[in-house]
Amino acid sequence: MKPPSLGEFEELVLLTVAAQHDEAYGVSIKESLEKQLDKTINISAIHVALKRMSEKGFVDARFGGITQDRGGRRKKFYVITAFGKQMLDRQYEIRSSLYHRIPNISFG
Amino acid sequence: MKTHPPKYARRFLRWFCREDFIDEIEGDLLEIYAQQHKETPRRANWVFIWQVLLHFRPDFIKSFSNYPLIYPGMLKHNFVVTLRHFTRNKTSFLINLIGLSTGLACTLLIYMWVQDEVNMDKFHQKDDRLYVIMHNLEMAQVMTEDYTTYELAATLKEEMPEVEYAVATNDFFNWNNKYGIITAGDNQLEIKGLHAGKDFFNVFSYPLIQGSGDQVLADKNGVAISQSLATKLFGTDKDIVGESIEWQHIGYDGVFQVTGIFEDPPAKSTLQFDILFHLDLLDDNDPHAREWNGDYVKTYVVLKEGSDLAQFNAKIKNLVQEKFPQNEHSRLFAQGYSDRYLYGQYENGAVIGGRIAYVRLFSIIALFILLIACVNFMNLSTAKASVKMKEIGVKKTIGASRGNLISQFIGESMLLSVLSMLVALLLVQILLPQFNSIAGKQIHFEWDKPLVLSILAISIVTGLVAGSYPAFYLSSFDSSLILKGKFGMSFGEGWIRKGLVVLQFTLSILFVVGLLVIHQQIQFTQTQNMGYSRDNIISFKWKGDLYDQSYQIAAGKSNEQFQTFMQRLKELPGIVNTTNMAGSILDEIYSQSGSSFFIEAEVDPNTVFQSPLVGYNFIETLGMEILAGRAFSVEQGDDYSKIILNESAAKLLNLEDPIGKRMGWNAGNEVIGLVKDFHYGSLHHDIEPLFFRFEPMGDHIMAKLSSNNIPATIARIQQLHEEFLPGNNFTFSFMDEDYQALYEAENKVATLSTYFAGLAIIISCLGLFGLAAFTAERRKKEIGIRKILGSSVLGIVQMLTRDFTKTVLTAILIALPISYFIVTQWLANFSHSIELSAWIFLLPALLVLLIAWGTVGLQTIKAAYINPVLCLKEE
Repeated sequence: MKPPSLGEFEELVLLTVAAQHDEAYGVSIKESLEKQLDKTINISAIHVALKRMSEKGFVDARFGGITQDRGGRRKKFYVITAFGKQMLDRQYEIRSSLYHRIPNISFG
Repeated sequence: MKTHPPKYARRFLRWFCREDFIDEIEGDLLEIYAQQHKETPRRANWVFIWQVLLHFRPDFIKSFSNYPLIYPGMLKHNFVVTLRHFTRNKTSFLINLIGLSTGLACTLLIYMWVQDEVNMDKFHQKDDRLYVIMHNLEMAQVMTEDYTTYELAATLKEEMPEVEYAVATNDFFNWNNKYGIITAGDNQLEIKGLHAGKDFFNVFSYPLIQGSGDQVLADKNGVAISQSLATKLFGTDKDIVGESIEWQHIGYDGVFQVTGIFEDPPAKSTLQFDILFHLDLLDDNDPHAREWNGDYVKTYVVLKEGSDLAQFNAKIKNLVQEKFPQNEHSRLFAQGYSDRYLYGQYENGAVIGGRIAYVRLFSIIALFILLIACVNFMNLSTAKASVKMKEIGVKKTIGASRGNLISQFIGESMLLSVLSMLVALLLVQILLPQFNSIAGKQIHFEWDKPLVLSILAISIVTGLVAGSYPAFYLSSFDSSLILKGKFGMSFGEGWIRKGLVVLQFTLSILFVVGLLVIHQQIQFTQTQNMGYSRDNIISFKWKGDLYDQSYQIAAGKSNEQFQTFMQRLKELPGIVNTTNMAGSILDEIYSQSGSSFFIEAEVDPNTVFQSPLVGYNFIETLGMEILAGRAFSVEQGDDYSKIILNESAAKLLNLEDPIGKRMGWNAGNEVIGLVKDFHYGSLHHDIEPLFFRFEPMGDHIMAKLSSNNIPATIARIQQLHEEFLPGNNFTFSFMDEDYQALYEAENKVATLSTYFAGLAIIISCLGLFGLAAFTAERRKKEIGIRKILGSSVLGIVQMLTRDFTKTVLTAILIALPISYFIVTQWLANFSHSIELSAWIFLLPALLVLLIAWGTVGLQTIKAAYINPVLCLKEE
């Protein structure tokens, strides 16, 4: 079986999940990414990314308690799995090794 | 501040979104909405809607296909549960299976019978345009018959533009003898045939194996014969066209060429014939054939496409009178040819019904029997509901909707009805020959499309009807109550269940009462004092030469052989008396006499008198009572001018002392006797005014035998017959049997309904048996406690039977008035019917009550004798 792949947007979401360890949920991820990237992001895109990554086993989820906010709906908190972290590490390695291979180029 | 996102978007989201994502998605959306709402409320609404729409994608849409009928896992589960339920409750399963499958088998048989009846004569290609011309004789009463005049067919074809084909047929070769002898080579057969005009094969669809439709009857010397006749005569049905056959008959004889072979008329054809002669032969051999006032042939027409029947009827109504003004009573009308089989009864010149009544009766019976069987299923499954309560409660708790449960129970009854249908099909296969012989049919089991479709339809409808009530009833319970065990108490004999048992037994009692009345009526008609004695009288036809007085005797022929035969017959030992007549006393159609016969007496000239033609000793042989005057006698030298009246005729004519009065054309007839009224023909008719005319040459011979050693006497008659008419088969019948044959239709209905009524009762009792067994089982503990406290066996039996008795009594109370109403309606069809006595109603009621008691009693006694220790120790 082919190892699951990680798309660019998924990677960003996964990084955010990892960064906000155990406190990441849809809106918080959206806000953090919007701040980082300085552009609006559709919440639906984040939901889809989270769903697919949880199917691939990169993230785990747990439900928070019921509060009066959010129409009584629970928050779904995400946490990165060991496999997810491994995936991020590999991505990082590939990218940095590729980056270090760049010769010094002057754009004089 | 509370914020409200767009309601419809939210509802839409909740409708489509998967349960495991709704919290996350709706929560996040609401959180974002709340934030944005603070800044730009209107934009927030749009963003919310847009975000909901963005989530409407396969990832988050729930599966809408979790209905059990489609969802294979659920379907399999239901199937397994149903099968387990069947195996665990073997008794009720068997009761249901037996009840439903017999019910279904009955329904199928009746369905096939009805199909057969309805399709009678429908096979002709031009069926929708094929009509028979009917003839009303409008006298004091209107007589309707299908005999019309010879010239009619040709006239219709010529003068009515809408007639495409018209053909006349005649099946009595001679008024006295319908049979003729056909010879080909060494083979000789006695057969009955048909005369037909040349368009016969264009009007009717009897396929020709050899010869072409237009050519077969083109020539007077040509005959068409059936395949089976060809095989009997020539040993083969190939290449027979051109062969010659010899025909002998009183009417005419001669040598004919075979011009065509047709397939034997199918059982679905009312017209049955083995040989077809050219119609003109009649004309050649009977000087009266072409007269407009004779009723000589049956006329059939095929109207052109798009013709208006009402218009055509208006045109032909007075046709006979226009052609022959003296025929002022003749009116014609056309009736659909295939309709005539089911609608063959007429009153005042109009169709009032016929066999269709039996078709309707049996259809209703089939429906009722099926209903009774369905009721069994309903009753047993609702009665057993308490067993299923836990299952229903658990299923409801873990989220089964009412629809799920309904489809489970309907599925259960469907499965049962399909199983029963398989058993029923097997039963039908086995019973069909028996059924055919009872019903006088030749029904075959053919897997054609309509049959398969109706089998499917019947199974599905049965499953739905049987399953509907239990399904809705069982699925309606509140799961929390069920699981808390609070249901047992209120779960007694529901009134609907009682109502269903009442319905079953009402129907059963209706059946039995109807059956008794039909049997009584038939018994009555068959033992009724007819005014003459039918005992030990045999009758047979004289098949030798017999010449009529006016033409042939005058031309020098002689009936000496016949006269000698009659003389010798009378002298045989064992013969009490002999006589002869033209036609038969049981078949009153033969000799009607028309209007204005009497000129001396003042009587409505339109009165129809029955006027049989009888020979010497007729009154003596049949044991009729002479009230005044005398019978015809040889010593007095009676001739054609003498007549004998019956009482009704004398009364009608207002004659105190009719003897010696002269009447008839030119006062040519003298009344010589008066007989007591007797029944002429079947009891469907009243006694009508009648007079006997004298005809010593009638071919219908009747002989009264002394009651000892009848076989020997018959053997002697046979020997004498052989001596006079060598090689001619001696076929005779007993008059009382012939008489019974008049009531064939009623007899068949009676026999069939006996079986059906029996089945109805058996199926009802099966249900009752199951219910009783279940009740006894359910109240086992109660019985145990009662016994310990000193209740007697009898007391317990009474307690258990009381409920059922009440139910059956209710059924009796409902059934009796209904059955009284139906039965009086039916008896109104007979001019002489039985007196309805109370026991006709009380006996079936008592019978049903006893059978019900018997069924229930067996169970209750078993329950009452139970050892209380055994049923109380468990818990």
